Amino acid sequence: MLRTIADIGKKLEKRKQKVTLVATAVQDENVLKAVLEARDRDVVDILLIGNEQKIRQMAETSGADLSGISIINEEDNYKAGIDSVKLVHDNRAHILMNGQENYHGYAVLGRAVIDREYGIRRGQRISHFALFELESYHKLIGITDCVMNVNPDLKTKAAIISNAVFFMRVLGVENPKVAVLAAVEVVNESMPVTMEAAMLSKMAQRGQIKNCTVEGPLAFDNAISKEHAIHKGIVNDVSGDPDILLAPDVETAGMIYQSFVFFSKAKVASLALGATVPIVLTSKLDSHETRVNSILLAASLYA
Amino acid sequence: MYRTLDDIFKTIKTDGQKKKLVVAAAQDDHVLDAVFRAYDKGVVEPVLVGNTEEIKKIASHEGYDLTGISIVHEADPVSAAVTSVKMIHDGEGDILMKGMVDSSSFLRPILSRKFNLRQSDTLSHVGIIELPHYHKVFALTDGALNIAPDLDMKIAIVKNAVFLMRKLGIEMPKVAALGAFELVHQKMQATMDAALLSKMAQRGQIRNCVIEGPMSFDNAVYKQSAEYKGLDNGVGGDADILLSPNIEAANVLYKSIVYFAGANPACVILGASVPAVLTSRTDSEDVKLNSIMLAASVDFDK
Repeated sequence: MLRTIADIGKKLEKRKQKVTLVATAVQDENVLKAVLEARDRDVVDILLIGNEQKIRQMAETSGADLSGISIINEEDNYKAGIDSVKLVHDNRAHILMNGQENYHGYAVLGRAVIDREYGIRRGQRISHFALFELESYHKLIGITDCVMNVNPDLKTKAAIISNAVFFMRVLGVENPKVAVLAAVEVVNESMPVTMEAAMLSKMAQRGQIKNCTVEGPLAFDNAISKEHAIHKGIVNDVSGDPDILLAPDVETAGMIYQSFVFFSKAKVASLALGATVPIVLTSKLDSHETRVNSILLAASLYA
Repeated sequence: MYRTLDDIFKTIKTDGQKKKLVVAAAQDDHVLDAVFRAYDKGVVEPVLVGNTEEIKKIASHEGYDLTGISIVHEADPVSAAVTSVKMIHDGEGDILMKGMVDSSSFLRPILSRKFNLRQSDTLSHVGIIELPHYHKVFALTDGALNIAPDLDMKIAIVKNAVFLMRKLGIEMPKVAALGAFELVHQKMQATMDAALLSKMAQRGQIRNCVIEGPMSFDNAVYKQSAEYKGLDNGVGGDADILLSPNIEAANVLYKSIVYFAGANPACVILGASVPAVLTSRTDSEDVKLNSIMLAASVDFDK
């Protein structure tokens, strides 16, 4: 069981294979700084795609050393995206990282990932997954989806769970426990979220969502506290011990994410899942540590 | 657990105070036949509400002895139904039975606020079935009253059936919410409702029962089939109650059990303060008698 993000780093020390990260359309200084640190800490080899002149300017301003780093000059963002996806396709890159932390960047990279010709989609959906280390919780816990699927329907939620489960299993959690969050733990016809949660729970029981235990609807408190669950008379294996929290929509997920970061001073690493390789997708609000941790997490999938 | 309907009927007390069976518009030869067979067995005390002249005519033609049997004259069938329900309301009867009156006129006074008989959100029909191929009697609902029940109505239908099974001594009835298969499918409402019902029972929103669903019919009644599908849930192969997604499935299932498997189920309408017997002319004599006997076997007010 992984307790901290540092545990993931330790896992990395034992790896056999060195992996290459390709950062695409690099325009943000923050991203450049993070990939260079990851390289310096020997987490990954890096490859930069983007406007070479601008990248060199950025490095100069921030005093970063680019010696020995390959840069592929591509000024068009979409073409840069396709180039990096091709590299993944050819097995020359193993982690994809978005070089610009803005909505345009996510959209452009997203289009490249699902491109009909060169796309690298693996699951039914691409979804965002954030892994948290909290002082008040006994293990790492994932939240999904804080970014990509705004208002997922039942099928999309099943796909989001599958992505998260796939990931947790790679991290060594054989049968991840998934709590499907709602405002209450009972089925309420005027709250469609509770109905979808009940159905997801049944779908896992029936093997329609594999390799995990899904319990829902659960309110946040009875998801993370066994005591609260017992108090409500809900007996299940997930309450008090979930590995994954599935939020009903992007707003809820985003607020959980931010409250963890701002109120609980949590450590976090996040990725986009559902492609053949992990995608590092950071935001301007993220700290430098979060960016590096996210790269670390992506690399740990190969450890 | 009862293996046969007779096992249930053995529990009826034939000495002392018998259950009063109030028959609405009793001038119906088929219904009177069943009523007198039950009377002869000593399980009920009939109260015949209806057209006295016609009742007497049928009785003399069929050779029923009306001595000591109360007859309340009410020539109009609709009024007879109202009078019968009022008698139940006034504590003068324990079981209602439909005679020569159409079903909706029979049910309307039961649902009327005036007589306050209604105990549930929905009245529903339950058939209790005994088959040589199943290890106990089981309930099938609802093949007669609720056409396309939504989730709320299904909850009420389950509650009614659970109420009856508990009256029959099954503390924690096992309910299989049926679908065409055991998976949740977004284009099959039945499977989604079944999943929801299952969770609602888990959460204590539907009490005193275990609900598993979606289950296909074979998963529900045949253990090997449930195991084969990996449904190790305690209900598969051992269901006490089969909840059908709609009236058609239950009705066809019921009739196939009657006509192809030769069963003689006992049927009652649930949801009121007393059991109501509503048989159809096409039901066999045994089904009519069994239905009265089932109604006489349970005490709703205890």
